[in-house]
Amino acid sequence: MEFRDNKAIYLQIAEYVCEHILLGKWKADEKVPSVREMAVELEVNPNTVMRTYELLQNKNIINNKRGIGFFVAENAIDGVKSYRKVQFMDDELPVVFRNIYLLNIGFDELKTKYETFVKENFNA
Amino acid sequence: MNNTFNINRFGLLLRRQWLDFGKIYLLSLIVIFGVLIGFYAFNIPKAQDGLPPMDLNYVSLRFRYPIFGIVGFLFISIVASSYFSNLGQKSKAIIDLMTPSSTFEKFLAGVFYTAILSVASYLFIFYITDFAFCKYIDSSFSTFPYDASLTFMGKITHIHGIHAQLLNDEMDFEEYRGFSFLPFLVTSIFLLGSVYFNRFHYIKTAVSVVISVAIIMYIVYLSVSKIGENMVQITDSQNNEKIAFTIIFVSSVILCLFFWVITYVRLKEKEV
Amino acid sequence: MIKIEHTLVYYLTNTVDMIKINNLNFGYSKHKPLFKNMSMQLSNGHIYGLLGKNGAGKSSLLKNIAGLVYAQSGALDVMGFNPAKRQPALLEQICFIPEEFYLPSVKIDAYVRANAPFYKKFDHQYFGNLLKEFDIPVGQKLINMSYGQKKKVIIAFGLATQANLIIMDEPTNGLDIPSKAQFRKIMASAMTEDRCIIISTHQVRDLDNLIDTVIMLDENDVALKASVQEITEKLTFKRVKEIDESIIYAEPSLSGYNAVMPNYHQEESKLDMELLFNAILAEKIKFKPLFN
Repeated sequence: MEFRDNKAIYLQIAEYVCEHILLGKWKADEKVPSVREMAVELEVNPNTVMRTYELLQNKNIINNKRGIGFFVAENAIDGVKSYRKVQFMDDELPVVFRNIYLLNIGFDELKTKYETFVKENFNA
Repeated sequence: MNNTFNINRFGLLLRRQWLDFGKIYLLSLIVIFGVLIGFYAFNIPKAQDGLPPMDLNYVSLRFRYPIFGIVGFLFISIVASSYFSNLGQKSKAIIDLMTPSSTFEKFLAGVFYTAILSVASYLFIFYITDFAFCKYIDSSFSTFPYDASLTFMGKITHIHGIHAQLLNDEMDFEEYRGFSFLPFLVTSIFLLGSVYFNRFHYIKTAVSVVISVAIIMYIVYLSVSKIGENMVQITDSQNNEKIAFTIIFVSSVILCLFFWVITYVRLKEKEV
Repeated sequence: MIKIEHTLVYYLTNTVDMIKINNLNFGYSKHKPLFKNMSMQLSNGHIYGLLGKNGAGKSSLLKNIAGLVYAQSGALDVMGFNPAKRQPALLEQICFIPEEFYLPSVKIDAYVRANAPFYKKFDHQYFGNLLKEFDIPVGQKLINMSYGQKKKVIIAFGLATQANLIIMDEPTNGLDIPSKAQFRKIMASAMTEDRCIIISTHQVRDLDNLIDTVIMLDENDVALKASVQEITEKLTFKRVKEIDESIIYAEPSLSGYNAVMPNYHQEESKLDMELLFNAILAEKIKFKPLFN
């Protein structure tokens, strides 16, 4: 995994875990890699992974079963979505808004763009 | 856990040191063996050259004395001066010093390899060389027609055949007992040199020894002549010799122990 | 949030100071002191990254901790021992990987047979696994190996001793790119709760995700000792277009500047260790009030 420069590593690992859950690679009630396994795979300090797992636990995305390890929570996908939504609203949207403002893009234009994008990519 | 001495750990240390030091040691031993054989082969009398020089009824092999001394000195001093030489190089010293055994054990291993093993192995190597060549001389001279009468201390003695005598039979150890601790003194000095100096251990040690011996001799000479100014010399050569040998023996033991103590202290203080 | 604090406390209860340095004074000559009244505590469960300019004393600090050099004054306590005494009970608890080292010209298994028995907890199977991970053939003679390969052997041996204090002086020097990745994986797995790992490096980029606490030496003392978390709570590292008042230190980059500034908005940025390093060297005074 390549880490980007602009965000704390533990948050990037959280995104990585969320991505796996959203894509269905890790399903509800399945065990997620242990702190150590994850640290070795990503070549990072285990304390960093621990911090990620604590965060995800607080967001109800994973559960800690003492003595066994961490498991994907039952409603993990909802947890991921609400977590990601906050992240998007706080971090990414301001950048988009800034460009919309600077480039004078109208909301109607955006709306049509958005609808074609959804149609092309998700067949919705 | 005993942090000063543990026989088990000491054994492990001897084995570990052998891995690195053993090579230098064995190589020097082989070289020394070759040198001894060379000297003997070159110097022993050969049957086709006629009657060899004799000491009474034995073949004279006088060349052995200096060879025994010089080669022996070189061997034990070289071995001793290379033992702690690793500690002069940062890259080697760190791993040696971090080995989990006590400084005392590391020091004792040094004493074992330099004083005990090297002296013992040299005596052994020399003995078998001497033994082999004496046997060879015996076999080559046994058919030699030799029958002579000579006058020895007013009596006429008949001598039949020629034999070679082993060096340790020929030497009268009673006379040399005073020097028996000198080899250990030599190794202790060069062992100290190997831990004291960081490079060129042998040369530096040898030079320091020569300089300090010269200074000591000069001081002794000065003080003896000062003290002896108004004294009359009384000679009792036999007694004098005995006292001299005792002094040599005792002082070599004391000096050797002294150098070992300093070596231990230096080893403790060694920094990388 | 309360929950996070709770779990953190749970983790910290197992922590003890493995290394206590108190008013350490050290120098290779009396007139040029390297450390003046240095004090610091290091505990288990961390990978400390020791940074500093050339000559700042990174190696010397490591050697002081290992008892390879002696301080002029001050107290040094390593797991309850004074390292200067070089006692076997402590030595078997320390794995020291020097920057330059020499290994005898024997095969790996002969080296292990001679050295491993000193370490009661030596794990032969783990050693074998590490060699495999590093792609080192076991039967090879040490003399025929490259510097990088030897380094990997000595690292594998050191970790297999199961020592609790691991000290590494520039461990990634001489390792090629795949070996560096292998090294990071190995260190990530070697970091256990009862171990304290100290790594000195000037190649920060090799290790920055492994280090959880930064120790920076400058001007005879510890210029900074803080966890990555603490640093990123107090500072943000980001790209900016223009320099303004709030920026403590900035370096020009392709699209503007890479800047360090106080973390006013609780941003969670990635610690840029190189930038932090240069920032502290340049603006030491501005950092002092933030970390004390």
